Amino acid sequence: MLTLRIAFNNLLASRRRTLFLGIALFVVTFLFVVLLALTAGVTDNLVKAATNISSGHVNIGGYYKSSPTDSQTIVLNVSKLKVEAKEILGDEAVRIIDRFRGWGKVISDNGTVQVGLNGVDYAEEADLFSLLTLAPAKDYMENPADPDAVKGSFAELGQPGTLVLFASQAKRLKVDVGDEIVLRTETLKGASNTAQARVVAVARDLGLLSSFASFVPKQTIVDLYQFKPDVSGVIQIYLRDIEGSTAAMNKLRAGLDERGYAQLEHDGQPFFIKLLQTVPQEDWTGAKLDVTTWEDEASFLTQIIVALRAVSFALILVLAVVIIVGITNTMTIAVRERTKEIGTLRAIGMRRGRVLSLFLIEAVILGVLASGIGGLGGAAVAMLVDAAQIRIDVDAMRVVLLSDTLHLVPRVIDVVVAIVTLTVVCAFAAFFPSLRAARITPVTAMQSAE
Amino acid sequence: MTSPPRSLRFAALSITATMLAPLAIAFPALAAPLSKDEVTKMVATIDDRQQNAGDYRSIAYLEQKERGKADTAFEVAFYRRDSDDKLMILFTKPKTEAGKGYLRLDKNLFFYDPTVGKWERRTERERIGGTSSNRQDFDESRLSEEYDATWVAEEKLGKVAVHHLALTAKDGVDVAYPTVDVYVDMASGNILKRQDKALSGKLLRTTYYPKWSKLYSESKKSDVYFPAEIRIYDEVEKGNSSLIVIRETDLRPLDANLFTKAWLESKSR
Repeated sequence: MLTLRIAFNNLLASRRRTLFLGIALFVVTFLFVVLLALTAGVTDNLVKAATNISSGHVNIGGYYKSSPTDSQTIVLNVSKLKVEAKEILGDEAVRIIDRFRGWGKVISDNGTVQVGLNGVDYAEEADLFSLLTLAPAKDYMENPADPDAVKGSFAELGQPGTLVLFASQAKRLKVDVGDEIVLRTETLKGASNTAQARVVAVARDLGLLSSFASFVPKQTIVDLYQFKPDVSGVIQIYLRDIEGSTAAMNKLRAGLDERGYAQLEHDGQPFFIKLLQTVPQEDWTGAKLDVTTWEDEASFLTQIIVALRAVSFALILVLAVVIIVGITNTMTIAVRERTKEIGTLRAIGMRRGRVLSLFLIEAVILGVLASGIGGLGGAAVAMLVDAAQIRIDVDAMRVVLLSDTLHLVPRVIDVVVAIVTLTVVCAFAAFFPSLRAARITPVTAMQSAE
Repeated sequence: MTSPPRSLRFAALSITATMLAPLAIAFPALAAPLSKDEVTKMVATIDDRQQNAGDYRSIAYLEQKERGKADTAFEVAFYRRDSDDKLMILFTKPKTEAGKGYLRLDKNLFFYDPTVGKWERRTERERIGGTSSNRQDFDESRLSEEYDATWVAEEKLGKVAVHHLALTAKDGVDVAYPTVDVYVDMASGNILKRQDKALSGKLLRTTYYPKWSKLYSESKKSDVYFPAEIRIYDEVEKGNSSLIVIRETDLRPLDANLFTKAWLESKSR
């Protein structure tokens, strides 16, 4: 306790030095927490985008090959499979839906985009659409009369001949809600086919995934591809807890194996990579199922998170090195300045270990206070920025951050990690000067005083 | 009974003619319908005139105009062996495209890109070099093999009298366009215009064949006809069009190993 008081008094006595080191620690911890909140925000965007646009928590996809070099994303006997999936997963599965997976051109009078056509049943997926937001006119129109006006409704997707686009696509097509467009693709037999559709809503962008996705009623896909009854593109299963997706996938695989379904070996890649590259190279014909998790389907996006983490780590590492050098230097000078004081303490009986701990405790107090304030400050700023819904106007940034607004999620665990890390760094930086202080003998101290 | 005055008779005739005119336009087929056999024979003749018993080689210049994009141009050499249904398209210009190519083997169309060194299977709807042209524009005519034809009307295409035929894909045949309308020059027997439609019935593209050429084939012992110029207009993406100019046609026998993947790969080594 006495050591703690002496250490605290020492910090107060050398206010300028304490303030300088404290500010440095504050800034680094602040940045660290904000970067961690940004990474958590992007991860949150990724989960939201992936599980809304392209995947359930677990998916039963399927491939059909009429010849070894052919490949189509088709799941046969969908009704039976949905029942069996429920039997295998039980109450763990809270929602089981199926979607068609198409790919084609959306053509307006002013532009063309190639997008994935998700054939959905709006009545079945209304809850999922509640997570999407209608885009304001300024997101996709040039000089709109009312930039903040939002038009249309996702619910209209329940009507035939409708289409929901994302803002980036509507911008390229130069279309507004209510405009007619043409969908063009080819049937399973390779014949060209088209369908007319009316844009009923434009959703706000969700980064890269939303650049390649659109929603149409199931019947549109059935007509475009000439699908037979009880066929679909993928069965998407939503679980009570998304963390259990890998376990649920393994359970489903085992259950479907027992029921005699032919399955692809698990391959943690999105379905379109398998459709275009892996499956056409495999020498089999007929139908096979493919059970995946949302992480598999969004695996090409997790690289963004890995990159963000790497950038955060590199930045923090550089700043930590600067901090270590700064603290070591400052503490070394402090030890030299306080040689007389250390000698006196040693002369009245303070052991070397106590001297060492005295200096270390000084650093730890400084670390806890400065990084604590920095961490909490960073979390507060992250919360404010997130609440402000700051728009991202640069397209490349939208793609990387998977959203059209800056989304930060400050987590308690991240704040604690940042504070502990910076305190440990501070203590480490102070260790060698403290060791030097502990080695000072009273004689040396007296000589120094003379 | 006195005959009506001349002016009244003229008025009656004019009214009758005016009333019948729309009918004549709506039902021109009533004028001179062609029987099913005659139509089948006409389509078979179109195919036969373009087919060669031996080999076929041509250079084609492709120009693509696409809205919102810069115009692109390619030069390709294309080779056919009609007896085996084989087709090879080799891109020769520009340098960035040189070495790429398509090979049709047993009703399968493959694409080769030397930059990745891989072969990929492509569908009948493949846009050759990203242009509005398809495999069928370079391949021998197979209308009678792929479609059932019916006669629609006798029409005028500008000043040229044409037979308007409607073609519907035969069951089980893999074609890019399930329904096609062709307009056949009554005088020359060549197709002057072709309209390709989607399964939904929507018009997708219109192709014009303003110039035809012919060359005597030793192997066939008769003339082989081929379009010297093809103009393709995209009817959905308005503003997109392609021009194909065919020249240096040669009907002499080609190398026996030409229609192989190895031959195309060797062109980029």
